[in-house]
Amino acid sequence: MPSWQDFQPFIVSGLALGGVYALSGVGMVVLYQATGVVYLAFGAVGAMGALIAWSLINAGVPGWVGWLACVAFAGVVTLGYGMVFGPALAKRDPLIKAVATLGLTLVLFGLMDLLWTTSGGESRAITLPTDNSGFMIGQVQVNWTQVLGLGVGVAITVGIGAFLRYTKLGTAMRAMAGDREITATLGVPVRRVEAAAWLGCGVLAGVAGLLLADLVALDATTLTFLVISSLAAALIARLRSITLTFVAAIVVGVVHDLLTPVQSLTNYRDMTPFVLAAVALLVLSRRRVMTSSREEM
Amino acid sequence: MLDVAEAAAGARPRWPLRRPDTRTLTRAGVIGVLLAFVLFALPQLLSLYYVDAMTQVAVYSMVTLGLGVLVGRVGLVSLGQVAVLAIGAWTAARLLFATSMPYPLVLLEAGVITMVAGMVIGLPALRLRGLYLALITLMLAGAITVVLATVNFPNGGHGFLGYNGSSVHIPPIRRPGIAASDPAYFRFAVVVAALMFLLAAVHLRTRPGRAWAAIRQSEPAALAAGINTTLYKLWALALASFITGVAGGVLAGAVHYLYSIDFPTQDSITLLAVVLMGGAYSLWGAVIAALLLQLLPALLNNWGVSADWLTILFGLGVLQVLTTAPAGLADQVPKDLARLGRLLRALARRLAPSGGPE
Repeated sequence: MPSWQDFQPFIVSGLALGGVYALSGVGMVVLYQATGVVYLAFGAVGAMGALIAWSLINAGVPGWVGWLACVAFAGVVTLGYGMVFGPALAKRDPLIKAVATLGLTLVLFGLMDLLWTTSGGESRAITLPTDNSGFMIGQVQVNWTQVLGLGVGVAITVGIGAFLRYTKLGTAMRAMAGDREITATLGVPVRRVEAAAWLGCGVLAGVAGLLLADLVALDATTLTFLVISSLAAALIARLRSITLTFVAAIVVGVVHDLLTPVQSLTNYRDMTPFVLAAVALLVLSRRRVMTSSREEM
Repeated sequence: MLDVAEAAAGARPRWPLRRPDTRTLTRAGVIGVLLAFVLFALPQLLSLYYVDAMTQVAVYSMVTLGLGVLVGRVGLVSLGQVAVLAIGAWTAARLLFATSMPYPLVLLEAGVITMVAGMVIGLPALRLRGLYLALITLMLAGAITVVLATVNFPNGGHGFLGYNGSSVHIPPIRRPGIAASDPAYFRFAVVVAALMFLLAAVHLRTRPGRAWAAIRQSEPAALAAGINTTLYKLWALALASFITGVAGGVLAGAVHYLYSIDFPTQDSITLLAVVLMGGAYSLWGAVIAALLLQLLPALLNNWGVSADWLTILFGLGVLQVLTTAPAGLADQVPKDLARLGRLLRALARRLAPSGGPE
């Protein structure tokens, strides 16, 4: 068993990773509540955004333009998907809506493989200016990107929480989570509220993609399927509570990284989100209702 | 085989196993001729490259069959079938290295062990429904992929895992004695696949098939009608896992060497995509799905087109199927052909108003 000393740096990196998972998880929960769609292409749009940013920066464009392009791409693609397929699938089962986003995932995944081929063994990286400087806590080196990861996670969770509670649009989204038809009857512009949710979720996907490209790796496959890890956090919160999503994401990130120095478990650390989500779901679903008009656990 | 769909839909009380009518007999005849063509003529006509590709089609038609039964018949969406296939392939490879049992027996054992594994994993997961079940299977597939990447596939080493990391001369996974060559192994794979389709068809035409149809329509209603929904859902899972496990066993012999990178999580997603595109409500859909999944990449590779286009196509296909054609190609193509036929007949009538066909 490694000593406490060995674990310390992994707490820091785990918190940063957890922060980004929280950002992604919260984005997915909000979209699910507002539209009933589990957005499984979250990772893919972020990954493609990050790759676009990489290409732009390599072409000599200033960094911030690349980052903006990443976020804008993710936002626009997500909004576009939501506008085209949202209404078309609005009355279908949540499962169908989720599987349809897998279609978008495959399209983006194929495009990424086609445009940014990895066959040449080319490795890409996005470096944010926050990588190079940092500070020490005790004996642990902390860089500003890690602070940014956790900070953005916290800020988004608090910000979205406040937005849902205090703004008109947020209230409308919460109403839609209750019942879309009744909300529409009450005069809420349902389509516009959904569009806002799609756009917001897409922007978060872009931010998450950029941060994960820096913190983990700029690789289409990795980034596309990291969404499953952040989805684990959202699932633990039963796609309902953003506070719980945040806590679960931090736990997933920290446990994942804390397993790194443990010799016997380090190869299995990528299982963390899956195992935690599976156990949580199974425990939470013990009391199951047979007849319910809505897709609830 | 198409009337299986009608029987399983439970619309008419029929006893198809007792008295086959002429339509059923005709269909059986057509399938028999088709099967004979695939078994005897196809290996002669195709180059070795396409024989290999068609062997993969035979293997994956079993995988898509299992998933098709789950998705189309029972309404359970699994996003982890490639992980199940990997379990089957692992078990078969381990048994083939460790013993000198006849190959069909190994296939049976691989199927049974995969079935047990699938049921042990699936029993708790079956408490969940719809979306949550799909997502948890995705999680479990991710977990199994991680384990496989560490454990590796057996390569003739010792111990329970049978993996020797420093082995230089890795022995190939053996094939059955009568099917050592590629064309012979292709025939073997087709025969196994045909047996699996028969197994599934028998299930769909008898009591479990009707129970599944009821569950797919409405689980509470099925329960009210006295159907043990948990038993039949578990049964479906067991059947799908068994078939997929057998497919894994056939795959092991087909490729000779197995690597964990050949079973990535994203393939489970592609698998669901092609099953939906092929058509989950018909057994033909499984064949179409397997052709899409394995023959199309081989063709594209031969023409020098990147397989990424296929991924894009599958993505668009899923979106198209879910929005406009829920029964997939197996349903859409005959309908479109019929429409085309009507169109041509109308055209013929217009061109020759006096002497056109009725």
